[in-house]
Amino acid sequence: MGRLSFSDTRHLVTRAALGAEWGDIKALEGKSRREAIAILLKSAPIRTPGLPALTPWANVTRIKQTNAGKDRARKMMKTEGKRLKNWWMKHLLHTDAPVNEHMTLFWHNHFTSSLEKVEQPHLLYLQNQLLRRSAMGNFRSLIHAIARDPAMLVYLDGDKNVKDSPNENFARELLELFTLGRGHYTEADVKSAAIAFTGWGTDRNRGTYTYTQAKHDPRQFTFMGRKGAFTGDQIIDIILEKPRAAEYIAEKFWKEFVSDAHPEPQVIKRWGAVFRQSNYNIKALLSEVLNSDQFWSSKYRGTLTKSPVDLVVGTLRTLPFPKLSAGKLSHINQLLGQDLFDPPTVKGWAGGTSWIDTQTLLVRISLLNKLTRHSSASAKVQSYLPKTTGKEVIEWLLPLAPVLPLPTTPGKRRMVRALMLDPVYQLK
Amino acid sequence: MNRREFLQYSSLMPLAGMLPDAMAAGQRPDRIVLLIELKGANDGLNTLIPFRDDFYYKARPKIAIKKGIPLKGNMALNPYLKQLMPLWNEGNMAWVQGVGYSRPSRSHFHSLDVWETASTRHNDDRGWLTRVLPTRGNSVNGIVLGDNNLGPMGGRDGAAVAMEDPTTFLRQTKYLNKTQFHAANPSLAHMLKTQNQINNAAQELGRAHQGRRSPVRFPTSRFGRKLELVTQMIINGMDTPVYKVSLEGFDTHAGQINTHNNLMNHLGGGLKSFSDAMKRAGLWNNVLVMTYSEFGRRVAENNSGGTDHGAAAPHLVLGGRVRGGLHGKQPSLDPSKLYDGDLVHTVDFREMYATLAQRWWKRPNPWKHHRPLPFV
Repeated sequence: MGRLSFSDTRHLVTRAALGAEWGDIKALEGKSRREAIAILLKSAPIRTPGLPALTPWANVTRIKQTNAGKDRARKMMKTEGKRLKNWWMKHLLHTDAPVNEHMTLFWHNHFTSSLEKVEQPHLLYLQNQLLRRSAMGNFRSLIHAIARDPAMLVYLDGDKNVKDSPNENFARELLELFTLGRGHYTEADVKSAAIAFTGWGTDRNRGTYTYTQAKHDPRQFTFMGRKGAFTGDQIIDIILEKPRAAEYIAEKFWKEFVSDAHPEPQVIKRWGAVFRQSNYNIKALLSEVLNSDQFWSSKYRGTLTKSPVDLVVGTLRTLPFPKLSAGKLSHINQLLGQDLFDPPTVKGWAGGTSWIDTQTLLVRISLLNKLTRHSSASAKVQSYLPKTTGKEVIEWLLPLAPVLPLPTTPGKRRMVRALMLDPVYQLK
Repeated sequence: MNRREFLQYSSLMPLAGMLPDAMAAGQRPDRIVLLIELKGANDGLNTLIPFRDDFYYKARPKIAIKKGIPLKGNMALNPYLKQLMPLWNEGNMAWVQGVGYSRPSRSHFHSLDVWETASTRHNDDRGWLTRVLPTRGNSVNGIVLGDNNLGPMGGRDGAAVAMEDPTTFLRQTKYLNKTQFHAANPSLAHMLKTQNQINNAAQELGRAHQGRRSPVRFPTSRFGRKLELVTQMIINGMDTPVYKVSLEGFDTHAGQINTHNNLMNHLGGGLKSFSDAMKRAGLWNNVLVMTYSEFGRRVAENNSGGTDHGAAAPHLVLGGRVRGGLHGKQPSLDPSKLYDGDLVHTVDFREMYATLAQRWWKRPNPWKHHRPLPFV
């Protein structure tokens, strides 16, 4: 297998990490695919910024007991929600483990929960840390942990799912969105799975998972053709026995790392098999995806639309534009349609080309225009720009050749501005 | 047939195939909708008042409205909407009563999302109008004024623009690329289409902005000003089938009476001017005005002289082709018939959307389980 060119390594880094840091790309140039991917996926120690001040659930519950307190609690939660969003934004900007952080965001979009519904920033923080710890770990353990995660129990009403009054919300999304997808289970399976999870709940004072025997419905039922009084954990393991579960995740990886186009079925089968054989090791699947010919195919290069995080965080990690405050960046990300911790639906962000609409395109352009406008602050960029050829600068910042004419007057900063305002800059 | 008549006739010929499409790009659609969002959840019971119902007065000892304008049977209009009475008398005002949905959410955010996406499961990001209206090249399907949220016209395949006001929008679009480029892949093609839609809307808007103004006077409120802008866009022939504006401040948890009456006054005054302007321009038969709101409010007043989040509520439809009158059934206020203190809906909100799709625009109805109503 050949050695990776500069443009190859840029492709690998921008798709797997966050942005296109010059040093990271250069470090992988000339290596083989396998070597480069192994280096990129090597676990870096994960350091999170200091925990924002968040009120534990028990205290909020206590405050909420009076009418005036309700109002106060709502305001507190709003402030703390913003604090949490800014905390993650900071993390995305500064982390030394960008691949792991990219995957954390991927799982946030898979196992969605929102501040809007949960109303408990502290629980969302705990969920976020779980996703970060497991981002490249084992999918089986992750899903068992997610089923017990207090934020998820609130978000999908798992804590309201009790004997004689089942709530199917979690059971349905477990099958439809987390593991198999529509058409691979029946309505009866949803009902059965809901029975299995009855009694799972949260301790509102401690903000922890609880199991209440009295609320559990112990009867026998049929799930996916098997009869028994299965527990919630057994339900998850039965689902994971299906090849489809691994293929479903493989399809999501295809969409995240390769293309918006329909995946090639034999590729999904192969990736699914690798995932299952590794006992659902996420890193093994990611490595398989990044090593595949499809990932490297010129057919798919420069076809993915950058997410708001790719655009905002990626740009600021790539080039030393004056850093905007985390609060400002969270706000921009919200205007761009990716309000962290507040996905629009239980399916997460639709992504792909839908990142760009009449509203967000204007915000994207106005942001890039502001960043690259001539000012004393943006002059810093000039000195940072690598001493290299114009061709390599184009390959560094754009995944495809620019579609608009480049400036004819020389000047590094003018060139960077033109490249960033080119429509191709919106792609990766 | 003389030569002049022949030429006129033949010049129409190539158009003939295109005419049946009421929404061809590049010309003013002959079926326009103006959506009014009543932000914060409008109190339906003090808007269209069941003034002969004892339960109404029992539930609202402090805030019941006793001087409503009787419309028909048990129902009266909030007196601060009196400017709209001529439309009622002309048969151009319809009220659809008891609009809501099953297992209603009391969260502003969630319920608004339900209304705007027409999905109660919170699993579709497409606005309901995105599903109803066809895409029309570079022409946009809607303009949202005074708000940055595309709402019912948002989501995948949406084609609308939202703006605080036209001036700001025109300034923002200045920096957007205007030249066409080669779109080698679907993502670039999508970007090119979006860019062209914005530029096209900006161009149309710039033209309408310079164009003539209606001689009708509008209230000087924010709401009145927005309706005046919509009027200017319509009379100058913008090729947009939907406009959306909102009136804010309906979350009346405390001291409701004055706030709500004031809002009713804004709503009535603004819509009266809008209908006058459309009539003056000969376009009243081409527009339909419809209100929506995330939910109604609780039947019983609270201890602060206000009302908390409720469920079903009536909605207003106006227009030259509207069949005036009371549609749907007013839900019972009998405490034993309420669900957790709320009115139980008698009309699903998607029946209103189905009506607009099928009976107004002659488009397929995406909500097969919900039949259109005869208000138009």
